[in-house]
Amino acid sequence: MGRFLLRRALTSLLVALGIVFFVTLILDLIPGDPVLIILGQNATAEQVAALRHELGLDRPLVVRYVDYIGRALTGDLGRSIMTKRSVAAEVADAWPNTLLLASAAITLAVVFGIGLGAVSALRPNGWLDFGVRILALLGLSMPIFWIGLVFIYIFGFYLRLLPIGGSGTPQHLVLPAVTLALPSVALVARMTRSSLLEVLGEDYVRTARAKGLAEPVVLLGHALRNALIPVVTVIGLQFGQLLGGAILTETVFAWPGLGRLVVLAIFARDYPLLQGIVLIFALSYVVVNLVVDLAYAWLDPRITYA
Amino acid sequence: MTGDRGQTPRYRVSGLSRREFLRRSLLLGIGGSALPGLLAACAPQAAPQPQPPAQTSQQPKRGGTLTIVRPIDAVSLDPTNDTTSAGGWIATNIFESLLKLDYDMSLKPWLAERWEQVAPDRWRFYLKQGVKFHDGTDLNAEAVKISVERAISPQSRAASFFRGIKGAEVRDNYTVDIVTDGPYGPLLRAVSTWFMSIVSPAALQKYGQDFGRNPVGTGPFKFVEWRTNATITIERWDGYWGDKAYLDRVIYKVVPEESNRMLALQTGEADMVMIPALAQVAQFKRDNRFVVHEVDGLRVVFFGFNVNRPPVNDVRVRQAMNYAFDRKPVIDNILEGNALPATSLISPGIVGYKDLSQYWAYDPRKAEELMRQAGYTKGSDGFWAKDGQRLTLKHYSPRGRYPKDAEISEAFQAAMRQFGIQIDLQILEWGTLLNKYTRTGLDAELGTLGWTDVPADAHYTLGSLFSCASIPPNGFNGMEYCNPAVDELTARGRANPDEAQRGQIYAQAFETIAKDAVLVPVYNTKEIIITSAAVKGYRIHKSEYLDWLQYTWLDK
Repeated sequence: MGRFLLRRALTSLLVALGIVFFVTLILDLIPGDPVLIILGQNATAEQVAALRHELGLDRPLVVRYVDYIGRALTGDLGRSIMTKRSVAAEVADAWPNTLLLASAAITLAVVFGIGLGAVSALRPNGWLDFGVRILALLGLSMPIFWIGLVFIYIFGFYLRLLPIGGSGTPQHLVLPAVTLALPSVALVARMTRSSLLEVLGEDYVRTARAKGLAEPVVLLGHALRNALIPVVTVIGLQFGQLLGGAILTETVFAWPGLGRLVVLAIFARDYPLLQGIVLIFALSYVVVNLVVDLAYAWLDPRITYA
Repeated sequence: MTGDRGQTPRYRVSGLSRREFLRRSLLLGIGGSALPGLLAACAPQAAPQPQPPAQTSQQPKRGGTLTIVRPIDAVSLDPTNDTTSAGGWIATNIFESLLKLDYDMSLKPWLAERWEQVAPDRWRFYLKQGVKFHDGTDLNAEAVKISVERAISPQSRAASFFRGIKGAEVRDNYTVDIVTDGPYGPLLRAVSTWFMSIVSPAALQKYGQDFGRNPVGTGPFKFVEWRTNATITIERWDGYWGDKAYLDRVIYKVVPEESNRMLALQTGEADMVMIPALAQVAQFKRDNRFVVHEVDGLRVVFFGFNVNRPPVNDVRVRQAMNYAFDRKPVIDNILEGNALPATSLISPGIVGYKDLSQYWAYDPRKAEELMRQAGYTKGSDGFWAKDGQRLTLKHYSPRGRYPKDAEISEAFQAAMRQFGIQIDLQILEWGTLLNKYTRTGLDAELGTLGWTDVPADAHYTLGSLFSCASIPPNGFNGMEYCNPAVDELTARGRANPDEAQRGQIYAQAFETIAKDAVLVPVYNTKEIIITSAAVKGYRIHKSEYLDWLQYTWLDK
């Protein structure tokens, strides 16, 4: 286990280093002069020279890259060009909101996804199964942007039950979390259903039934746990993505998370901020994947990481 | 086992409505005025006090919270670090400048009670006494000196608007001189901008780099709280030296989606919408629960010719295209009436404005005559041609940088097709296009661009867009227009401290440029803000970033 963790930590580190490299490279790849774009129509020559130096564009790529990593290790992610605040402070403002929204959405995905999937698998091709499959298809097919606006119109404008956007109270969390969770719920439900159907055909399930165990016990005690491995994989990947900030959901619901921040950083060509956010995205994803790997072992004791 | 990871579809698309960012980087404009006589230079003066907006017969009520929804958060509340209107709307309620650019675009005393020009390169300002910053410290000459110097320093985002200013000198506790680099007529306009707001030196000292998050000024509202990308809250400051605000507090909320901003107004979650959905403006005008405030803005959007590239190096071709383009349907249909036809190369209200629309009034017959004079004949295919060559031009436009920029370029393309000129329109990413306008040169005959005269004094536009010195790679003159007569007028105007005379000199320069048909001016922006009918005493400013709420109150 220890060796596995070490190996995973090392690969994760390599992934993070690689991502930082690509982000550093962006400055050299974008069309136009990044300094000019950042400063806009009214820059003086002194400002252009100063920013060029601040961004390190007067130094070679490799030097810039090594320098960035060195500073990042001490927690210094640089200063945002746009706001002149430290990148760490900007990220720290948005990160808790993203974490809250992603956690709420993934909780809904787990509860409703696995629940609906299990119900569906219990009576395959029954009317309940049919209903769940239709719902899952809808959940996967409806664009978040559109369904978010529909929810806002129904619950915010027409029924006036919930605020149309913003953050700060639990009510503000409801619509964005539900909207964001929909595709994940659908995906998890479908995954649970197919995995469970497969497992329900296994010998040990037949044995359990032959022993005369009640169907719920068979389902929950024997089948579901074994069926969950691919489901956990999907949940992990989904959570990793959600932690990367849900750009559309955050935009539609005016939710002040990392997704909004990254778009602002891109439009303002705020490269230090962009680098910082991408680094956080990459690390979140890596950590979630690590946790998923560990969850396999918990779900299925046969899996060991020697 | 490390899991049989299946395909995981991605649901989140990294795109979002372009309107959200439309104004983000649009450098604001502030206005100037061609109103003569208000400020005769060289003599101490006490101009009239700023007037509160016209009130109804109702007695204003004190108290209440005004909620404003806007598409985007402020970058910073440090006046030298944010050149977007998103910052200006808020900062102009927290800070004040030496002079006030009033609703009628005239200059009024503000923190300076009076001022005089004491030498060609030196202006003296006499400060109002007894004014306190929100942190309790006194407004004095030292605070003004520090504020001026940080506004002109290279660290300031606004430094380019203040190129004529050398520095400030303290005369006594309430008298300060601003020294310019030779005669600099637009100085009073410059000190009235919000970039040159007077900030608390004690707070600067205390917060350092984080002053933009802890702004301390002398205005009628003081800063309370900033939740990034969510809300900014300000509240009435009861120690204010002038008429105290009516509202208890103002909350600025970020709502990126324009349709949601409109819904927030309808549900009562918001009282005021900044940058409303243009398509819905007409509907809100008809609804008496709301008030649509609108005024002509300070930006002009145009197509610039690269005057060195044949065949548009022939002034007659450029003039013909100007006369052949009917702007009215473009404004009525594409901009849905939310803009005005351009009547000059700068907006009304800027020093140097003069109505020049005669140089591009729609006149297809005149246009055809000019084409024939230029040696073109119309072929059976409907296109103008010379020496067997069909007249074909290349045109670059950004999309989403200015309201309906790509759409109006397409409309122009269609209008020219009808007139007999083929235009190959290319939509370019803004960064690429900006680089062409300013660095590598415009490798096309036409380019779409918008321009705001930020210091509200046309020396800025003339110097940046139309001077020989600003041809790429040295500036924004992608038109490559170089006319020594225009440069001479610009320099002469800039040195003249009399606003009326200065304006006339600039106007001559613009008339020369209009005769040379360097641009196809299209439209002048409108500023539009929608409030609920309960919002009273509010008045919209021509400048897109000034949004004073001192006299605004809520009738509910």
